[in-house]
Amino acid sequence: MSAETQIKDTIEANDVVLFMKGTKMMPQCGFSSRVAGVLNFMGVEFADVNVLADEEIRQGIKAFSDWPTIPQLYVKGEFVGGCDIVTEMTLSGELDTLFDDKGVGYSKEAADKIRAANA
Amino acid sequence: MTRSEKIRDRLARAFAPRHLEVIDESESHRGHAGYQDGGESHFRVVIGADALQPLSRIARHRAIHNALGKDLLNEIHALALVIRV
Repeated sequence: MSAETQIKDTIEANDVVLFMKGTKMMPQCGFSSRVAGVLNFMGVEFADVNVLADEEIRQGIKAFSDWPTIPQLYVKGEFVGGCDIVTEMTLSGELDTLFDDKGVGYSKEAADKIRAANA
Repeated sequence: MTRSEKIRDRLARAFAPRHLEVIDESESHRGHAGYQDGGESHFRVVIGADALQPLSRIARHRAIHNALGKDLLNEIHALALVIRV
């Protein structure tokens, strides 16, 4: 299976997918760790794809998204952004709105705690 | 030209920003993946530019990626963007 097909299948089969360095339990990069940490803290169910485990996926996801960096977050098949964008959207509440709109479960209380801690 | 200078030069040409900071944060990543001797591996860019204002979040980042170019992006390990519009 080509890397592109694997990527497409993964984002179709899972509501929330994080392409990251390392795994959600053991991230291997500060930026990946931050996004995985936000999703874990908010209680979001997501699939993690460790790009360090597969060079074709690592290069493939950059081409697929037209985005040069990792991590990359997909929600319901749609590219949301990388670490900076996810962080901004978490703090502004836009991520909550996106999850509400897409029917993705998360803890609003946990999201509020993140915002309170970063206010 | 150093990488910092290249980043500054390319963004200044592309967006005529009213505010532009290029911060080499490599030292704080010493010993981590992607660290290179001499630094210039991890950057934070703070940019304020009217040209970016009408774009979506993703489009703003893409415009900056395009202005920097693949050659420069391939040389650096990490790029954090703070976009003020």
